[in-house]
Amino acid sequence: MMTNQTHDFTLAEATARVRIDELAPVSRFSLRVRPAQAATLGRALGLDLPDRIGRIAEAQGRTALCLGPDEWLICAPEAARDAILAAARDAYEAAPHSLTEISDREISYRISGPAAQELLTIACPRDLDLLEPGRAVRTVFDTVQVVLWRDGPQEFRLDVWRSFAPHVRALLEIGQAELAAGL
Amino acid sequence: MSQFRIPGKGRVDHAETVRFAFDGREFTGLRGDTVASALLAHGVHLMGRSFKYHRPRGPVTADSAEPNALIGTSRGPGRFEPNTRATVQELREGLMCESQNRLGSLSFDLGAVNDALHPLFPAGFYYKTFMWPRSFWDKLYEPVIRRAAGLGRAPSEVDPDRYASRYLHTDLLVVGAGPSGLMAALEAARAGARVTLVDENPEMGGALRSDPGIEIAGQPAWDWLDGALAELESLGVRLMNRTTAIGYYHQNMVGLCEKLTDHLDTIPENAPRERMWRVRATRVVLAQGALEKPLVFHGNDRPGVMLAGAAQTYLHRYGVKVGDRAVIVTSHDSAYHAAFDLAEAGTKIVAIVDTRATPEEDLRAEARARGIEVLTGHTVTDTKGRLRVASVTVNPVEGGRIGAARLLHCDCLLMSGGWTPSLHLFSHTKGSLQWDEESRTFLPGRMTEDCHIAGAGRGLWGYGEALADGAKAGAEAATALGKKAGATPLAVAHDRPGTGESHKELPTNRKSSRVRAFIDFQNDVTAKDIRLAVREGMRSIEHVKRYTTNGMATDQGKMSNINGLMIAADAVGKAPPEVGLTTFRPPYTPTTFGAFAGYHKGATFEVTRRTPIDAWAEANGAVFEPVSLWRRAWYFPQGGEDMEAAVARECLATRASVGIFDASTLGKIEVAGPDAVEFMNRMYTNPWTKLAPGRCRYGVLLGEDGYIRDDGVIGRLGSDLFHVTTTTGGAARVLNMMEDYLQTEWPDLDVWLTSTTEQWATVALNGPKAREVLVGLVEGCDISAEAFPHMSVAECRVAGFPARLFRLSFTGELGFEINVPARHGLALWEALMQAGEPHGITAYGTETMHVLRTEKGFIIVGQDTDGTVTPEDAGLGWAIGKAKPDFVGKRSLARPDLVAPGRKQLVGLLTEDGAVKLEEGAQIVLDPGQPKPMKMVGHVTSSYHSATLGRSIAMALIEGGRDREGETVHVPMPEGVVRAKITSTAFYDPDGDRLKL
Repeated sequence: MMTNQTHDFTLAEATARVRIDELAPVSRFSLRVRPAQAATLGRALGLDLPDRIGRIAEAQGRTALCLGPDEWLICAPEAARDAILAAARDAYEAAPHSLTEISDREISYRISGPAAQELLTIACPRDLDLLEPGRAVRTVFDTVQVVLWRDGPQEFRLDVWRSFAPHVRALLEIGQAELAAGL
Repeated sequence: MSQFRIPGKGRVDHAETVRFAFDGREFTGLRGDTVASALLAHGVHLMGRSFKYHRPRGPVTADSAEPNALIGTSRGPGRFEPNTRATVQELREGLMCESQNRLGSLSFDLGAVNDALHPLFPAGFYYKTFMWPRSFWDKLYEPVIRRAAGLGRAPSEVDPDRYASRYLHTDLLVVGAGPSGLMAALEAARAGARVTLVDENPEMGGALRSDPGIEIAGQPAWDWLDGALAELESLGVRLMNRTTAIGYYHQNMVGLCEKLTDHLDTIPENAPRERMWRVRATRVVLAQGALEKPLVFHGNDRPGVMLAGAAQTYLHRYGVKVGDRAVIVTSHDSAYHAAFDLAEAGTKIVAIVDTRATPEEDLRAEARARGIEVLTGHTVTDTKGRLRVASVTVNPVEGGRIGAARLLHCDCLLMSGGWTPSLHLFSHTKGSLQWDEESRTFLPGRMTEDCHIAGAGRGLWGYGEALADGAKAGAEAATALGKKAGATPLAVAHDRPGTGESHKELPTNRKSSRVRAFIDFQNDVTAKDIRLAVREGMRSIEHVKRYTTNGMATDQGKMSNINGLMIAADAVGKAPPEVGLTTFRPPYTPTTFGAFAGYHKGATFEVTRRTPIDAWAEANGAVFEPVSLWRRAWYFPQGGEDMEAAVARECLATRASVGIFDASTLGKIEVAGPDAVEFMNRMYTNPWTKLAPGRCRYGVLLGEDGYIRDDGVIGRLGSDLFHVTTTTGGAARVLNMMEDYLQTEWPDLDVWLTSTTEQWATVALNGPKAREVLVGLVEGCDISAEAFPHMSVAECRVAGFPARLFRLSFTGELGFEINVPARHGLALWEALMQAGEPHGITAYGTETMHVLRTEKGFIIVGQDTDGTVTPEDAGLGWAIGKAKPDFVGKRSLARPDLVAPGRKQLVGLLTEDGAVKLEEGAQIVLDPGQPKPMKMVGHVTSSYHSATLGRSIAMALIEGGRDREGETVHVPMPEGVVRAKITSTAFYDPDGDRLKL
């Protein structure tokens, strides 16, 4: 994923242990469909929609994350937006659903580095040891609802509703400075 | 070298001295010292004054249970802390500390007059002494009591420190790193569990740090500890020292407070002072050990009187002798070992005074061998020494009679009344306690959480037993975690097992009124106070506690509760378990507010939600108001305007030309699916079937009770798609309510809900010139009055951005609401400002929005409604789809009390004097001459000054209000009664002509 904006810190140690990057926007959709029709819709979108919460399917740069028994988060490059909407519209008769664009609803941050997991524990109550790379979950960070992706052992992504993002970012930066302090 | 320091002894670093100051006097200690150990090394026992009687006090413990040696510490401006326990505070270079609770100097305290007057201050004296005359309370008694009360001096500046928080998940959390806890952690870690081991001390090892003579598995105790800690580390166990488990909550959530910087000479930049850990542990082992009890006798609180175990700790951990001449008074074997260790270190043991008639022969033999006199079956009847104990009077007790006194000179008196298992955390879980008659103490009973208790914490004594029990607990925890574990037996040599007896106050021959035998040192509660409380009718230990304040100090009665109970039980004449034990509550030890607050202070105190247009509002001088978690532009003052002037200008400009308003905070929900219209019919009162795509309708949402919950304009974008708007504050609540119905009542409906509040930025454009401003920016939609009438919606482009364009009005003027993807919100706003410039476009805030809507009689849910208002009450009966078979709340609307006449109805109110603005919330009466209490028929819900109408306007809920239109009502206010006439709520443009432009 491309980096849109990088906040540099005066503390070199801070970024050495963990980096916080705001990511460029992507096309995002909330997909709701009955499990029985999920396969039909998945075919239309070119994705094998996973049926277990937290699992991710990827194909042709498109990603589907299962967030609930009838709920998926679909991410794709912005260029694919119209094609996705059209494909879903064509499948509506056979597989009634709701595909709602939420590209602007959320801001995403990448948190990466040796201390990435530790940084998240300042406000995320989940047991992150149990979140395997290649999975994602809806959870909370402080009091804020987020989708937390684990892209690698030391790489996470947070999707945060736009108006809550500054609060989350501020906490992450406090935590980053704290980690740099080494205590 | 300090006089009482033993070269080379203890865990302190004899090579590194640390300077500090106490009450302005410079001292040196060693790295690893506490303030208490460093002062004791200089022979200083006097460290504070007591709370009530201002009696001189010194440390009685060497740990976190300390009730006496409370000091103020400072680390610079804003970093003063009162009531720091000198026995816990580690030395750091340049530490400044001061004694507390004194008027004058520590050695000459004017407040000590209270001590001489002690007969005037028995338990409950506040309740008795200060009752009369009543008028003296506010002016004299309370101020004096307040000045005298409280421990230490409260800090007055903002705390500049950082405090941190963490979540932690672990298979096994072990609390206490003494022999039991270490073994539990070892066994579980060897079995492959994720283990966390916490201890409040700087160094792990617990009691073994005070007993280096023990041999474990053929190694000296401290060598064995080094090996055990190294093994734990190599097994990946998280070892957390200086970390107190402060509370044990539901489902094995344990709160830990870790102290990070108070012991450091220099603090790394941005380092937090403390960190609160919220730990979710699958299993918990509590290995908190036991607390030594003081003995209760006259004069047991003088500096120099301390627990025998504490003296042993000062000796072995800090290399400090607490005195040169010690008398030991004990009812437990453990104090003999303290005496032997001190004797070896060169302290003269004047005598061991044992309250028991026949102590263990082995111990007596060893004492004899060391030339120490043992006085069995003795009591203590007096101590002397003003600022430090100088002598002890002991007497034999035979058949209940006190024999001849013997005076023993000493400079310290070491006592042991036995040991109480530390059950605080177990108590937090609401686990039951069982009274053990043999050991005369409470032991853990039934567990409510997945926990194990090991070692002295469940009444076991001796290192061999503690180690074995810890290993067993660790193995049990590992087994419960599905691991294979076995407890390895360890050989212990030179063990120090022991037993003891438990006492109420020691027998004495003093006149009872002359006995000052302290139980709660911190709150200055004596045995006599407990007996007085019982005499005055207190029977439950909870009442005794509150009447005497026993156990209510910051140490939560760690030392005093059991002694208090023994005496209360004796006074009541019941067994201790029948009198009961008071409940321990978190936190285990005093914990800073900062640790609880964590990151929630300053800018991150609470989430502040900002709209995409917030930056423009801020740059243009907006004054903001909080609306739920959002901050919204309230008004935009220009050139020194006050709020009233700014709002008047914004209102007039909007009505005359065009106003622009950031409505992004409105809740938005996408309702999509083949059954969307059916779902809308069931949720909202209005009918939706015939609403054509491209049209909007004002919707009313009720609760099951028939009362208004929310409202908003809803646009139909397609046969299967609705764009629902909600109130700002109701967004999350409404979505939850809808999901609840969908999932639990109507799972058959093919419809789905998605929050799009933050997908869209919403700008409202209102005023006769609104279309002229907008028209040039719109592509793909004819917005003429004919093609795009009031209550239309279309998907098009505005200012080049994809948009959902609504024609609707919350002001009564021609109005549009433009929704664009949030990232474009600010650009849209700026494009509209530019397009509106020729028309003098005026940005307005929430206050103007409120005035404009009130002029039209439009309600705000939550302001004009209060959860007991039906659509009919609010004048919204027209919004009810009468032909619909059902909707949420329909059945309730037919309830007798909801159709009864005389319900409060929303009406307009115009004061007779238009310059007078009513208070929102003011009560309304029909006849101001009626006797009090008057019959109140309603209240004002909205009230504003209307610049457009040149007078004040208000809305009110009044009983049978609509039938009273034209009548005059009265609003009694402190300045006089205001007369007002009931009117329609449509104050402005009642026919709605201005919408039709």
